[in-house]
Amino acid sequence: MSEALAGYGLVKKYGSATALAGVDVAVRARESLAIMGPSGSGKSTLLHVLAGVIRPDEGRVMLGEERIDRLGENRLSALRRDRFGFVFQSGQLLPELPAEENVALPLMLSGSRRREAVIRARRWFGPLGLDGLERRRPGQLSGGQAQRVAIARALVVEPDVVFADEPTGALDQATGEEVIRLLTTVTGSLGAALVMVTHDAGVAAHCDRIVQVRDGLIAGRRQSAVAPTRNGAAS
Amino acid sequence: MNSIALTWKLARTGGRRGWQGQLLAAAAAAISVLILLLLLAVYLGAGTRGDHAAWRTPSPDPRGTAVQALSTTFVRGTPVTVVQLAQLPDRPATAPPPGLTDFSQPGEVYLSPALAALIRELPAGQLAGRFPRPASYHTIGRAGLASPDELIAVIGRTPADPAISSLPESDAGLGLTARAVVSGFARTAANPGSLFAFDQTGALMAVGLLVVPVLVLAAASGRLGAARREQRLAGLRLAGATPRQILAMTGAEAFAVGAAGAMAGAAAYGLLLPLVARVPYGVGAWYPGDLWVGPAYLIAMIVLIAGVIAVSAMSALRRVAMAPLGVARQADPQRTRTARLVVFLVAAGYIGVRASQGNLGIGGTLTLMLLCYGAYLTLGPWVVDRLGRIIGRFARRPAMLLAARRLSDDPRGAWRTVSGLVLAGFVAGFCSVAQLGAIGASYPGQVAVQVTPAEGGQTVEDLAAQARDRLRAAGLIATVQADPDDSLLWDSGIVAQITGGPAEIDTALTVLTGLVPGVAPYTQDLGNADITMTVRQLGQVGFAALLLGFLTAATSAGLTAAATVLDRRRTYRLLRLAGTPLALLNRARTWETAVPLVILAGGTTALGVFAATRLNSMVGTGQSTNAGRLAACVLVGAVAMFAAIGASRPLLRAVTADPVRADD
Ligand SMILES: Nc1ncnc2c1ncn2[C@@H]1O[C@H](COP(=O)(O)OP(=O)(O)O)[C@@H](O)[C@H]1O
Ligand SMILES: [Mg+2]
Repeated sequence: MSEALAGYGLVKKYGSATALAGVDVAVRARESLAIMGPSGSGKSTLLHVLAGVIRPDEGRVMLGEERIDRLGENRLSALRRDRFGFVFQSGQLLPELPAEENVALPLMLSGSRRREAVIRARRWFGPLGLDGLERRRPGQLSGGQAQRVAIARALVVEPDVVFADEPTGALDQATGEEVIRLLTTVTGSLGAALVMVTHDAGVAAHCDRIVQVRDGLIAGRRQSAVAPTRNGAAS
Repeated sequence: MNSIALTWKLARTGGRRGWQGQLLAAAAAAISVLILLLLLAVYLGAGTRGDHAAWRTPSPDPRGTAVQALSTTFVRGTPVTVVQLAQLPDRPATAPPPGLTDFSQPGEVYLSPALAALIRELPAGQLAGRFPRPASYHTIGRAGLASPDELIAVIGRTPADPAISSLPESDAGLGLTARAVVSGFARTAANPGSLFAFDQTGALMAVGLLVVPVLVLAAASGRLGAARREQRLAGLRLAGATPRQILAMTGAEAFAVGAAGAMAGAAAYGLLLPLVARVPYGVGAWYPGDLWVGPAYLIAMIVLIAGVIAVSAMSALRRVAMAPLGVARQADPQRTRTARLVVFLVAAGYIGVRASQGNLGIGGTLTLMLLCYGAYLTLGPWVVDRLGRIIGRFARRPAMLLAARRLSDDPRGAWRTVSGLVLAGFVAGFCSVAQLGAIGASYPGQVAVQVTPAEGGQTVEDLAAQARDRLRAAGLIATVQADPDDSLLWDSGIVAQITGGPAEIDTALTVLTGLVPGVAPYTQDLGNADITMTVRQLGQVGFAALLLGFLTAATSAGLTAAATVLDRRRTYRLLRLAGTPLALLNRARTWETAVPLVILAGGTTALGVFAATRLNSMVGTGQSTNAGRLAACVLVGAVAMFAAIGASRPLLRAVTADPVRADD
């Protein structure tokens, strides 16, 4: 199976500090990849380079057959909107929009009519265990519920790749596990790839593969020992 | 480490952005204090200069020592106050009035500097001929003057001189003519004279119109500062600072920044005093000293504004201080009560009933207008909330949806942002339609001389013939009638209809002086003097309120927009990272101000127009809209507002530009 997203020889420097020192990384459709490493090791930088948020100084980023690291800002923006989904630690939901409108927003941004967008958004509430919370505002949701709404928002555009940066960072252990379980299974069932930054080994264990980053270099790669066989079931 | 030391350390480590924020907040504090001090200065100054003017109106004392007569003549349509004094024989000497070196002896003339200049400038036949012409004039000193522009003459007479003895004792409340035996001259008085009647009321109106927008501006600056500090303080909270400590720190820092800005504003007030003093209000420009409010008020204003900023910063920060992760958790969106609508409807009903009764007088109309505004103030947040919900239901584009949801999420905040311009809209609407200048009797070109029947043997017809001769000799084209039907005359007398402009009128006034000894000719200006002055001051207050209203409203809208960007920088950054176009976010931000602005400010502008048409029909003048001026006001207001909001675009770009910092 070919790679959904791949980075080759990625280098990123901030002045004299090197955030990425030549990284190769790839993820296939339906596959989940955890990026681990100590704080300041370059995990977020790697994620942002792969997602077309930051341009690498050297190297290439391929989305399928398309090279994306040289695209213009507007093309990249549209790409992120339509083909990627993002889940962050917190704060990504607009506090004044009800949950369903938060989820529908990316569809509306891509030109869907509002009614249609909300109807499509509502379909995600059941699978993510959010039934009945459609009209709640983010402030009226628990941390775990808010993250699940964020997942719905990332998935509603049916992206090719979902990026998650410390998605459980603000949650307690049990809630975090639950959120990760949903994130990996639902992403997989969509046929999308998942790239997730975490420093929590328990969270990383839910992914198919793990890469260790240290000082901007890949320090180790392994198949996740306890990875659930979700891809096995699919393939 | 105590809170103050910690606060100082925090402020110093805030970095460049931190200092920029402090600078903005301080600038807003400076503007707030400057405007408040100017308002206060005009209010207090109006009182002080009223005191300087009080001596001209005689305060009767039957056992007095002198006769004082007040009268008013007009040159180029501007009132000239004439005070005639005569020492009574066999009585103790009378102390001179303020500004005069000696009690004026018969034949002596004291002039205010402005009148002396005018007398030099105009031909004697237009002005100087109305007064005795001594070899040289004396000058009235500052102590006797309310304004450097005042036109005043003090003339010494003998008690028997008809110029004094034939003056009426009063003019039925107009306050421009009076005669009495006096024992001295009041230096402070409750009633400074009819030309000053509206001075303090007008200043109070300006205060009423501007005080709310100014406080909103101060509060907005407090919020901006808080948004800048939030990040560092959230970190402190994680490090174990108690909410109380954090609030104390925020309060102390905001107060210090606010006080620094406020002191700069106070200094600006001090520096601008000589300039501001040149701005005419009522009778004219000011003596700078009269506009000095004194150290107590200065300090009080500084403390007031710094306090408002500190309280606003602390309440803006309460959320962060309470939630350790710095996640603003606003549970329920604010609800506005329908009670607001009820209050508004009751007030509107009352206003409608009172207005339809007509005949309210100026005072009643003003009260009603203020009530209108109060009702609108109550209704504002409710309307914003409803607007948000209605638009939220029908919005199709994401920018519109975002704007609508924000409106109903924080209707009071959205209302605060636009309330200043909503008010300015009312003033603009009113001022551009009200035909206040047309109030009063209109007998253009007429010069009248009152004749009392007791005038030794001469008939009115004789006098008319003499007047014709005098006018012809002065080269004027005039028709003179005795006791015409509809004219300026209150009683018996002659009326000359003069062909020409102000110069010809002034010539006629001068040549007809002394036609009947001691009787001064007059024009329509005399009867209209008080209303003309009130109208002029209403215009001046309206214009100042409009200008300062635009300034404060636009500044606070800009600050609020910037604070909002900073408050939500994390969400904006993540949205942009996820591919949301910056233009969309900007459009949403513009809509959320533009929609309530257009609807509410448009509403008050219409209300102002309506109030003015009511007033016009009440005083019986025709309706005419000064559409050009109204359009200009609306345009200036809108442009200022959107420029202010647009000013935070680079800020939005900057705070969303660095995605890697998305986790701060
Ligand atoms: N915008 C930036 N400017 C300067 N240095 C940066 C910037 N972003 C990241 N860095 C540096 O690059 C390194 C990697 O950062 P990051 O990818 O955020 O690490 P991680 O996510 O693993 O904690 C760090 O040393 C960080 O200080
Ligand atoms: Mg990181």
